[in-house]
Amino acid sequence: MKQSILGLAATAILLASATVCRSEESASGRWEGSVQIPDRELTLIVDLAQTKNGAWTGSVIIPGFDVKGKAVNDLAVKGSEVSFAIATGRGLQAVLKGHIAADGTLAGEFAQAGNTARFVLKKTGPPQVELPLRSTAVSKEIEGQWKGQYELSGYPRKVTIKVVNRGSEGAAADFVVVGRKTTTLPVDLVRQEGTLLTIDSYETGISYEGRFNPESGEIKGTFNQGAIEIPLVLQRAK
Amino acid sequence: MFRGDPNHSGLYSGPEPRQFHRVKWKFPTGNRIVSSPVIQGKTIYFGSDDANIYAVDAESGRQIWKYATKGAVSSTPAVANGVVYATSYDGKLYALNSETGATKWKFATEGERRFEAKGLHGMQPRNQTIADPFDIYLSSPVVVQNTVYFGSGDGNLYAVDAVSGELKWKFKTGDVIHASPAFSDGLIYFGSWDSCFYAVDAANGKERWRFHGGEDPLVHNQVGFQSSPAVVGGVVYTGCRDSNVYALDAATGKEKWRCNNEMSWVNSSPAVVQGKVFFATSDSSLFRIVDAATGKELVKQQDKAYIFSSPAVVGNTVLIGVLNGTLEARDAKTGDLLWDYEVEKSKQNKGWILTADRKFNMPLLFPSGLDETTIAGTVREDGIGSVYSSPLAANGIVYFGSADGFLYALE
Repeated sequence: MKQSILGLAATAILLASATVCRSEESASGRWEGSVQIPDRELTLIVDLAQTKNGAWTGSVIIPGFDVKGKAVNDLAVKGSEVSFAIATGRGLQAVLKGHIAADGTLAGEFAQAGNTARFVLKKTGPPQVELPLRSTAVSKEIEGQWKGQYELSGYPRKVTIKVVNRGSEGAAADFVVVGRKTTTLPVDLVRQEGTLLTIDSYETGISYEGRFNPESGEIKGTFNQGAIEIPLVLQRAK
Repeated sequence: MFRGDPNHSGLYSGPEPRQFHRVKWKFPTGNRIVSSPVIQGKTIYFGSDDANIYAVDAESGRQIWKYATKGAVSSTPAVANGVVYATSYDGKLYALNSETGATKWKFATEGERRFEAKGLHGMQPRNQTIADPFDIYLSSPVVVQNTVYFGSGDGNLYAVDAVSGELKWKFKTGDVIHASPAFSDGLIYFGSWDSCFYAVDAANGKERWRFHGGEDPLVHNQVGFQSSPAVVGGVVYTGCRDSNVYALDAATGKEKWRCNNEMSWVNSSPAVVQGKVFFATSDSSLFRIVDAATGKELVKQQDKAYIFSSPAVVGNTVLIGVLNGTLEARDAKTGDLLWDYEVEKSKQNKGWILTADRKFNMPLLFPSGLDETTIAGTVREDGIGSVYSSPLAANGIVYFGSADGFLYALE
């Protein structure tokens, strides 16, 4: 009898874990549907996938909001419960909490700016999660500290950019602008393609893009903020 | 490239899509698509108003790469010698590696802008300069003999070295150039919003001739070349906002004939195939076929809504997009509808933007004459998935973009 109870318990555990596995598997895919904001339905496409080590990853597409392949934050898949957050470049911050139902829909609550609306998504195919761009390593000619100056609204701004390689993580940069006050920009991405260097600060919408000239030893480019582009030549700091 | 070849014939090869079977795939982007897809090998290239240039596998619809510009990519890319060229509302021409999307170079113009005028289209307030919400497209580049030619909102037609990105020459007109230049026999042909159509020497940018279209000093509605020309058999064919389609001698600019469309813009770029000119109109919503030599009417079909999209001719089938969110296939001889495909947003018809028979529901689309209302109206139009994009037919598949943000592949 004891053996039978143990056997039943083991079977139950196996069944339960199988159910969990199926549910977690079922979260993987491309989900398409909408958020039913009153008088403004929002088309929403979510890609969710599990990596080899079992971690979940995801990205979203929101047509009309310039959101394509944006990585989701705080993604959690527990059985049939799925939750994640969206933060876009234009300040849309939302939290989605949903449940995968027996009919295969992923539905739940979309919360944004204190409002809530129902979302309903259906699986339409395998996941197409977009991985965010990663920083590349930079060449020796680019690595190091650079200084330059630009003028905005009649005021000079001094720029210091220090680029360092971090092994397999690619390069990182310190990006400091000194005007009437000193601003250290949070840098998200540093990339070098040939002689072209780009440094992006997503949160501020500021970027620097310039080409290294091996003859002059300068990086000639532009300081960019939204639609504003200001020429900025960087010279190696002495 | 836009319209399939440098002279913009609008002719495509491959099996005719005489029947619609199913949606093969659809690819979502972050904003409306007015760009037209082009194919090179097994890859589809197009732009989106979400500021990205995309490379997508033609078979699976999976993204190969995307490249972020800083403005809407409302132009159609050109692909030549392993390089993708496209213009963006950030005022730049981009040259990218076609396999990887890596930057080759960028060329900065003097800056983009839409056509604008005081009291435009009769909108209120009368003394306010209003940007034209119907100036939808950017000029799409044409690549010939290692040179990229394109127009810009700064009024210039640019010739840029295709390898280095260095300026070769520029030609200044009096207003926005958002039509796409065509190339034929050493000349570049294009229209401007200054009401003139130009032919310039492709080698040095010297003007050969210009042709004056209509003027509209009162409300600036019936003026400007938004349509892109086709050059076939020594004749230039172009639509104009002055409601005409013109046939001009390619060597001299002399008018051969004009076809009037009763106060309706012709923003659609004509296709010219086997002695026939195929085009469509905006407000009068006509699909027309005229004789290329004489301009004589061959077919006049009443469509349901405005058409900005340019026809693609594949054998005996003509494909064209309609702003009510529909892609149509018509018979090239009779103009009869063979099949159509309505995007989901159009079917939903939220806010009753369309009537029950798929025409624009004008009182609900543009409820007043304020400029804000008109701009909001165009946004509402986008909400039903308007098809501004010109279809591409390749290997029996039809590709097109919609204002719902999706690129569709139909088979």
